[in-house]
Amino acid sequence: MSTTLTKPEMSAHGEWVSEPLRRDVGAELPDWYQQIQADSWHNFLETPEPVRKDENWRFADLKKIRFERINPVGSLNEQGSFVERFRSNRVDSAIGHCLFANGHLIESDFSQLPDDVIACEINEALANHSELVKEHFMQDPARLGSQKFAALHGASTLCGVFIHVPKNVVIDGVIEIHHVNSGENTGIFPHTLIVAEANSKVSVFENFETAGKGDSPITVGMVDLDARDGGKIQYASFQNNGPNARHMQINASRVGRDSAVKNCFVNLGSMWVRNEAVSRMMEPGADSQMFSANLANGTEEYDQRTLQLHEAQHTTSDLLYKNALYDDARTIFSGLIQVGKGAHHTDSYQTCRNMLGSDTAEANAMPGLEIDADQVKCSHGSTSGPISEEEIFYLMARGIPAERARRMISLGFLNEVIQRLEGDDVKEFIFGKVEAKFRAI
Amino acid sequence: MSQDQATLDAVTIDDSGDFSFPEDYQHDAGTGLNEATLDYISDIKKEDDWIRDFRKKALKIFNDKPMPTHWASKDLENIKFQDIRYYLSQGQKPTRSWDEVPDDVKQTFERLGIPEKERKFLAGVEAQFDSEAAYSNVKEELEKQGVIFVNSTEGLREHPEIFRKWFGKVIPTGDNKFSALNSAVFSGGSFIYVPPGVKVAHPLQAYFRINAENFGQFERTLIIVDEGAEVTYMEGCTAPKFETATLHSAVVELVAMKDAKIQYITVQNWSNNVFNLVTKRGLAHENAEIRWIDCNIGSRLTMKYPGVIMKGRKARGEVISIALANDGQHQDTGAKMIHAADETTSNVVSKSISVGKGRSTYRGQVHIPKHLKGCKNNTECDALLINTNSRTDTYPAITVRGNKHATQHEASVSQVSEDQIFYMQQRGLSEAEAMSLSVNGFINDLAREFPMEYSVELKRLIDLEMEGSVG
Amino acid sequence: MSLKIDNLHASVEDIEILKGLTLEIPKGEVHAIMGPNGSGKSTLSKVIAGHEDYEVTEGSVTIDGEDILEMEIDERSRAGLFLAFQYPHEVPGVSNANFIRAALQSRLPDGEEIDAVAYYKDLYAKMDELEMDRKFTGRSVNEGFSGGEKKRNEILQMMMLEPKYCIMDETDSGLDIDALRVVAKGVNAMRSPDRGFLVITHYQRLLDYIVPDVVHVLYDGKIVKSGEKDLALELEEKGYDWVKTELAAA
Repeated sequence: MSTTLTKPEMSAHGEWVSEPLRRDVGAELPDWYQQIQADSWHNFLETPEPVRKDENWRFADLKKIRFERINPVGSLNEQGSFVERFRSNRVDSAIGHCLFANGHLIESDFSQLPDDVIACEINEALANHSELVKEHFMQDPARLGSQKFAALHGASTLCGVFIHVPKNVVIDGVIEIHHVNSGENTGIFPHTLIVAEANSKVSVFENFETAGKGDSPITVGMVDLDARDGGKIQYASFQNNGPNARHMQINASRVGRDSAVKNCFVNLGSMWVRNEAVSRMMEPGADSQMFSANLANGTEEYDQRTLQLHEAQHTTSDLLYKNALYDDARTIFSGLIQVGKGAHHTDSYQTCRNMLGSDTAEANAMPGLEIDADQVKCSHGSTSGPISEEEIFYLMARGIPAERARRMISLGFLNEVIQRLEGDDVKEFIFGKVEAKFRAI
Repeated sequence: MSQDQATLDAVTIDDSGDFSFPEDYQHDAGTGLNEATLDYISDIKKEDDWIRDFRKKALKIFNDKPMPTHWASKDLENIKFQDIRYYLSQGQKPTRSWDEVPDDVKQTFERLGIPEKERKFLAGVEAQFDSEAAYSNVKEELEKQGVIFVNSTEGLREHPEIFRKWFGKVIPTGDNKFSALNSAVFSGGSFIYVPPGVKVAHPLQAYFRINAENFGQFERTLIIVDEGAEVTYMEGCTAPKFETATLHSAVVELVAMKDAKIQYITVQNWSNNVFNLVTKRGLAHENAEIRWIDCNIGSRLTMKYPGVIMKGRKARGEVISIALANDGQHQDTGAKMIHAADETTSNVVSKSISVGKGRSTYRGQVHIPKHLKGCKNNTECDALLINTNSRTDTYPAITVRGNKHATQHEASVSQVSEDQIFYMQQRGLSEAEAMSLSVNGFINDLAREFPMEYSVELKRLIDLEMEGSVG
Repeated sequence: MSLKIDNLHASVEDIEILKGLTLEIPKGEVHAIMGPNGSGKSTLSKVIAGHEDYEVTEGSVTIDGEDILEMEIDERSRAGLFLAFQYPHEVPGVSNANFIRAALQSRLPDGEEIDAVAYYKDLYAKMDELEMDRKFTGRSVNEGFSGGEKKRNEILQMMMLEPKYCIMDETDSGLDIDALRVVAKGVNAMRSPDRGFLVITHYQRLLDYIVPDVVHVLYDGKIVKSGEKDLALELEEKGYDWVKTELAAA
């Protein structure tokens, strides 16, 4: 009681982190970034906790973010021991890859990337490519409810990768960023920053897992994607944490003239997931594709909020989020297409489909439209229901046993999303993991 | 004159309802709201203590509840509750003959075509002028069958055994700030009871008229349809265009017993300075059906989300909604479908048209809790934008628990495109005719759900609104 | 008595497309305009009909001596001008029968009503002529129609509205030979001393079925060559490059 009173700036249950989670990263961080860290900490303290009345947290179980405490990660030599067995758990054919354990860079190999591509650890990038990073770093504020967490992210020591692809460079193949986390309530702050300059192309796969079933890391990640003048980015986040983890990711895409960004979330693990994704179509010809495949069971809660923001004329976007739910799992999808004044000739779609596989699973859908322009084609749809009995019947009539038929249909349900990704290696990797989780259910 | 034309003329209401008579009220609660206002209303109505207490509790809730501006329009903040007159009447006892209605009131309703409609196709009419009904009548044969159709004041006094059982049960006082306000100051509205098995063939109609400036109308309607009975109720409303904003905040509760059917039709054409904040909900028992057909053309801000609680097995709920938002208007409408029993089905079809700087919003809620089976919801909302600066929003929320249900929601936004108008004009239609044809085409399938007389009126009202919208 | 286009200049977003086009179609004649892509064919039909995207900067268009450029789109239609669209627009929710009826109604003086019985009799007879199924009366205008069905529907409207001058904008595009035959039959049935036709097409094929009195070649916003129906055959054989080289030589 008395401790709360001595810290009047703390919010009601803000006890969970009392100082910025920072450590020495062995690099000289630029002043502008240190200022961001300081401001972010201030914002973190000032920003109130989410409340249920907040539309951005409607249907959310706020108990899941009543953190007891977020703990700092240990030093590098305390990690490593468990890393070996995860080395093989990645996309084999990746053209570049790196591995983080509790935010420490364990290894990386970007040697096969074209010469003028910059790909390096985020703190290293802050030190060595300060001006370039500054131009793109956290340019868009979190706006879908997680302002407080974004501020915590900004105040804390980050891990992750900065990738800059110069004009006309097309990277053939995928770059993998792999995170393995462990510990009790350890705070992990991954930051991925990808910039695709004119007519360049890059594909990034980010892979999250926990060292053991009992580990309970709290991840608060942010991703900045910036594509301009015909640049193309595919970013896929694959989250397969253990059942005690909590995972939050706030993604912001800035899509410029004739550029295209694909942003994909796949969630198989964690007790609680919050994905926020904002795509800004800022210039004519911008195209955004957002999709997500989620398989939730047990008491998992996957909470996803999206915004397709059309700011310029002649822009397009498409969104497909699919949830397969079992046991007592809950999902929340809240998506908004916002067509701003003057963003005429927008073409925008949004679909959320929920497949409920148990009597106690719960799917919430809030697909929204706000249209303030003319000559617009926009639609959204949302369905929730069980696996179609007719489909099962059809497969069984061909000789497939009921259980297998059920699994095939469910897998096919999520596979529709996976197939929207580019890169056979990435698709196969994700498909294999999804199939494995289905087997376990 | 052809048959069609005769019907059209019969149901045609005055274009805007924009006329008023000088005020001459016997009872006036004055301006502002406090406990004394409630006492004034109760005294005049000679109400029992339990109603007095009900009103006072409601006032407390109203004062305590914040404005729902965290999700709804900030325009709500422009309502000046202390500048409103909460009760105005020329007496409490409605007459049963138009001849006995005071001249200016009678003239009002004649200009709105009500007595003529009554003769032609209605089974009963109630006409409310500000706070109280001036006229109320139901066809004799219905009365003989035990159908009760009176205003709510009379309902409370004459039929407390039925009234009290359901009053405030479908919509509790604290449901929202405006249901609390209504519960504190309600006056007028209809009370209907249809006994078991009685199928009322022709619609019952209520007409709500605001005549006085700065006046708030707070009618309270309660309709109970007993086992296997059926009724269609229609309401219309108008007000003159005053300089200052007017408030209309009704509460409508429907109860459909086993196998009963209620169809509730609204053609809302308030002048565009009326805040129209209405709570409407029905309770459907086993195999009962409640349909809301809701058409919003007038008002400055309408917030109205008719709902159905499907409490009995195989109950059905439906909302058919048409909204037209013109310059300076915000039609914030929608539907609320609460599934509370097995095999219940609900259907929502909403079409909105935004003209000029008008804004239409759809808000929907579908809730299917766990441990039920066989529930279905289908929702479609389509928006049509007419001008470059028109606006539309859609905010549905759908919760489904369990794997024995199916829900489907679809929404789309489209335009009356320049090329479409060009095509029609090339065939010789004027721009306005082309626009009217396109807009009516957009709502055609819904307009068919209205009784013929009303779909004709609806089309005319929409044409009126569309005038001058192009170019 | 003619549809007369004189020194017509028109532009879209300040780019001049028609650059002094002159053409006269007397009643009773069928004129064809052929031209390569981008020569201004579709612009011509839209400008005559009064589409707002096109700005007339110079010249005149008259119907039987009456200037139509100052008229609204629908006034031009009621003055007797009919445009069969290359891409007929869909009108959701409005049935074909009601649409045509509304168009006919707009031609009557105030207070006069169309006789519904006579109207349907006439409509059905014309649909039979065009081998159109009766179900098209109840379906929304052009919604879900195939390419051929849309074009037939254009001809049906033309037959119902009985215009003085008809502009057929690439009516043959996307039609198979059977549909083309039916469409041509409808047009030919409407040929009369009281009516003029301007048939815009990219292909000579259509002119085998609708035989023109005069053929014009449109190139770079102007009529560069006119002749009898054989000119179409010559164009088909030698290609549009022939015109270009001839122009360059001249």
